[in-house]
Amino acid sequence: MARYLRKRVLTGILVILVSLIINFSLIHLAPGNPINLLAGKDNPSQEMIDTLTKKYGLDKPIYVQFIHYIKTLLKGDLGYSIMSNEPVGKLILEKVGPTLLLALTSIILALVIGTALGILAARKRGSKFDIVMNGLSYLFDSTPNFWLGLMLILIFASKLKVFPTAGMVDLRTQSEGIAKVIDILWHLVLPLTTVTLIQIPYYFRIARSSVIQTMSEDFITTFRAAGMKENRIFNKYVFKNAILPTVTVFGINLAYVISGVAIIEIVFAWPGMGRLMMTAISKRDYPLLMGIYLLLSVSIAVCMIVVDVVYAIIDPRIRYD
Amino acid sequence: MKLLSIKNESVVYRSKTKNVLAVNNVSFDIDKQDSVGIVGESGSGKSTLALALLKLLPKNADVTGEVLFEDKDLLKLSTDEFNDLRWKEISIVFQKSMNSLSPIHRIGSQMADIYTIHDGSADSDEVKGKIINLLEMVNLPTRVYTMYPHELSGGMMQRVSIALSLMHNPKLIIMDEATTALDVITQGQILNEIAELEKKLKIARIMISHDMSVVANTCRKIAVMYAGYLVEFGLVEDVILNPKHPYTKGLLKSFPPLKGEKGELRSIPGYLPDLSIPHEGCIFKDRCPQKENICLYTAPKTHIVENGRKVMCNFAGGDC
Repeated sequence: MARYLRKRVLTGILVILVSLIINFSLIHLAPGNPINLLAGKDNPSQEMIDTLTKKYGLDKPIYVQFIHYIKTLLKGDLGYSIMSNEPVGKLILEKVGPTLLLALTSIILALVIGTALGILAARKRGSKFDIVMNGLSYLFDSTPNFWLGLMLILIFASKLKVFPTAGMVDLRTQSEGIAKVIDILWHLVLPLTTVTLIQIPYYFRIARSSVIQTMSEDFITTFRAAGMKENRIFNKYVFKNAILPTVTVFGINLAYVISGVAIIEIVFAWPGMGRLMMTAISKRDYPLLMGIYLLLSVSIAVCMIVVDVVYAIIDPRIRYD
Repeated sequence: MKLLSIKNESVVYRSKTKNVLAVNNVSFDIDKQDSVGIVGESGSGKSTLALALLKLLPKNADVTGEVLFEDKDLLKLSTDEFNDLRWKEISIVFQKSMNSLSPIHRIGSQMADIYTIHDGSADSDEVKGKIINLLEMVNLPTRVYTMYPHELSGGMMQRVSIALSLMHNPKLIIMDEATTALDVITQGQILNEIAELEKKLKIARIMISHDMSVVANTCRKIAVMYAGYLVEFGLVEDVILNPKHPYTKGLLKSFPPLKGEKGELRSIPGYLPDLSIPHEGCIFKDRCPQKENICLYTAPKTHIVENGRKVMCNFAGGDC
């Protein structure tokens, strides 16, 4: 087990390194650069541009820049944002909380609700419930998440005025303590609903098809032939076998959601990393962008490792070596 | 008293577009400690017949007739009454034994789980001891108890399945192609072991197989099925040495004899009829080399000839 873990961690580090190289090259190769933005539009002098380029080390070959970045990174320094001149680490740390709150809560909700609905639908296969749930799952699966967000704002915020349209706290009532928590939760409802509704279909379908498939396995017939009660067969044998694909999907989805909530954060003006990333992209803020990408690739790699380990624990057929 | 008496059993698979008559009016008896081999080509209704005995068919299958097990009609029992009888009186060994247990639970714990269905009062050490005994009985090492199914070979898993079926000393074991997936050497070993265990534990057996030689070597009686009908039934030596139904004759010609002269191997031309379409006359008429005009319009009755042997053919002779 320890060997397996070590191997997985090493692969994880390799994945992070490769993604750093790709990200670094991509953003530097993309047209536009931060110097043009810093120098302004009023016919900046060539001298000024040269000085700025040199200041940020952008005159050196790209691989030298990359090695320099890795060196500072290994010292635990993510560098400074070109635009705001603040430490990248501090900027990210301020925004990561709201993103995690939104992403993790929605993932757990979607996992629980989607899987539960999927299991129910599978056990009542062909019933009205199954048919309706299937239809809904395709509907929400094909809905763009930002559009769903806008519709929810239109209905629940603009028309019915039940929930706030945007933000994470009410700026007019500087609330504290419990009141602040309630205020945040209140603001969380619509963005959370959006992200959750978009994810539920994945878990629903994977759980449904996996339960149906497991129910038709030969070993289920063995237990039935032996006179085991249906509930016991389900709770002990079907569930554990059927949950395996969900574990895989959970890992992939976790990574997808952490990076994918950005657009929802923008729709709901949620003060998370999504908006930070969008600004960093439009301003070509290289160090900030690299910092955000690093955080994303690390969290994705960690998710993958955790999923692999959980899988190996549940399924004895997975070998540790 | 017969152990099991099947009377006019029919099974129809119903779907929206058609009804498939998979087993048609089959009747035969099994004595205590008897062994009956059911043979026939794929789709002849062998497995459907056996699964119907254990009520393991899908919901769209309608079973009619009578299945008397020690004078209780199995088809009339409630689910709970039937669950009590399962495994304690009748157990089954499936063909694909590799998949016969959950792949992610240990073999021992699954066997213990099945054991406690019918003996909830036994404590866990007692159950473990009993299961290790069972494993030893089928020549498996005791370490199998803590292993997972994928760690065993096909033959070992087949032994596990057999151990599982013997757990509560049932009176009848159904073996649904139980040795078909094994190589001939393992198959031979397992068949010998089964024969010994049967004598020791006084068990009757229904053996479903499309391998005539397996049935000929291990069973006392043979039931030949074709397209859902029981076309011939009798003692193995009678049926093999002197087949009366043209289908049985054809089946025997398609297996090579181990001893004696080399004969020509011949398959039976044609294929099984569509069982969702009602037919007239004999079900075998399209493939029968001996058919005459009467076969086209008159469904043959089951004739009883010597030794309780049954033949469903217009030319079988004997009493109906």
